[in-house]
This record gives sequence, C-alpha cells and structure tokens, in this order.
Amino acid sequence: MNRLLQYTYPRRAYFNRSALGGLETELGRLFDSALADLAPIARSPRFAVDLYADKDNTYVRAELPGVNRDAISVEMADGYLNIGATRQVQDESVALNRSIAIPESVQADKVTAAYENGVLTVTLPKQEQAKPRKINITVN
Amino acid sequence: MSFINQILPKITRSTVATENDAAGATGFTLKPVYQLSQTPEAWTLVAQLPGVTKEGLEVTAEDGLVTIKGRRAWQQPEGWTSLYRESYDSPYALTLQHDNTVDAGQIQAELKDGLLRVSLPKAAALKPRKITVN
Repeated sequence: MNRLLQYTYPRRAYFNRSALGGLETELGRLFDSALADLAPIARSPRFAVDLYADKDNTYVRAELPGVNRDAISVEMADGYLNIGATRQVQDESVALNRSIAIPESVQADKVTAAYENGVLTVTLPKQEQAKPRKINITVN
Repeated sequence: MSFINQILPKITRSTVATENDAAGATGFTLKPVYQLSQTPEAWTLVAQLPGVTKEGLEVTAEDGLVTIKGRRAWQQPEGWTSLYRESYDSPYALTLQHDNTVDAGQIQAELKDGLLRVSLPKAAALKPRKITVN
C-alpha cells in the first residue's frame, strides 16, 4: 500500500504566480520537501495569505481550513495584523500564527472579519485621510 | 524510483499540466494538503480545501481510484486590486489509488470549513480477522 501512504508536497500552479512572486523560492521548497517527509505537511504552522485593496478598505484573506472557529484570533497592533488559530490534527493541536504588515493606516475600531469555507477575510477600513482624494490645484 | 521520489519529490514533478477535466482555463490543478490515517476498520483521508463549497466539490470512486476535485467559489470583486498573493486560484485535484482494498459503496465524505474528511472503509477481506484453531 505504498500509494495510499505516500505524503507529497502540494504541487503549485506554475504559471499562476503573482508578479510579486511568493515568499519561497524553488530552492527553499526543495529543502522543505526533503525534510517534509519527517513531519507531515498538514502539521505545518504556515498558511497562505492574500492582500487586496480597494479605495475604502484593505482586505486580508487567509487560508485556514479546518481550524476551530472560536479559537481564531485577529488583532491589530502597530500597523500589523496578527492572525492566530489552532487546528486539531489527529489528537494534536497545531498553533498557526502570522503577522502581516498592513500598507495603509487603518481605523482599528472598524475592522471586521468573516470566516467562510475555510477562508478568513479581514476587512480593514482605511483612515479617512489615507483614501485617495482628488486635490484641485489652480496654477496662477 | 519511489525511494528517490520520497526524498526528492521535485525530480518527478512534471512541468506540463496532466489533469484535464477539473481544470479551468489554464489547465492547472493544485494538489491539496492531505493526510491519511487508518483504523482497523477504515482509512481516513483529511484534505485541506480552503474556499471550496459543497457545490464545487466532487468525490468519485471508480476502478480502484478515489478522485477528489474541488473548485473555489470565491471570485475577486471588481473594485479589488490584489497587492500580494500567496494562494492560487486553480481548482484542487487529488487522486488516490487503492486497488480495490476499499469498499467503494460505503465511502463517506464530510466537508466543513474547507476541510474534507473522507472515510474509506476497508474491504472485508482486509479487516483483521480472528482465526479459530481446532
């Protein structure tokens, strides 16, 4: 039964990479995968995060499938968003943590978060003065 | 070859898309993070499929293969600009070969919060059996 018991690293979609690239390089992943068979990937404390923005808000979408809803913590401190969660993996509790720098200043009291289908979406409204505004300049 | 595959899986990674029908426009699919465990009665597969809903999920069992295909439901809204992406939009696909050691009629699957749990009951011949001695 070798087939059923083989752990493999998630295969990436090669041509869908964003222009900014990922945090990991090929070599980084090669080393990770060499060691990966020693500790199954499902126990890895890393999770993917996407950053979006529109004119009013900054959005953070984190892939957190299968975590305990009540244990998800979202905190805003000093321009960094800290996301924490725990996941139960076969009688073990894995702690996931990530600190993301938010590019624009945020109205901290208006931050909301929703967890749906394993994806956590945090909406961070921008400060009023950070929103793009047209400034009319008269040239004399 | 499989020993080398375990140590350096990158060697066997192909650069051409091999999955076809589950894939979207680009033809690429992603292999989800998954774990297999077993009890004397069944194998349990736990796969991480963030963003996949029941409508986008397809679990099929045929010919000694268990295939899982999942499509994400979320589309990026019009006004949003992506600043930094780590996740991929491609659908998930996972195929596991069991060679008829699984009772296909009794497979049960549950999708909750992006985590898929599939229970694959072992075929009767594989269950541990006590043999009486005369």
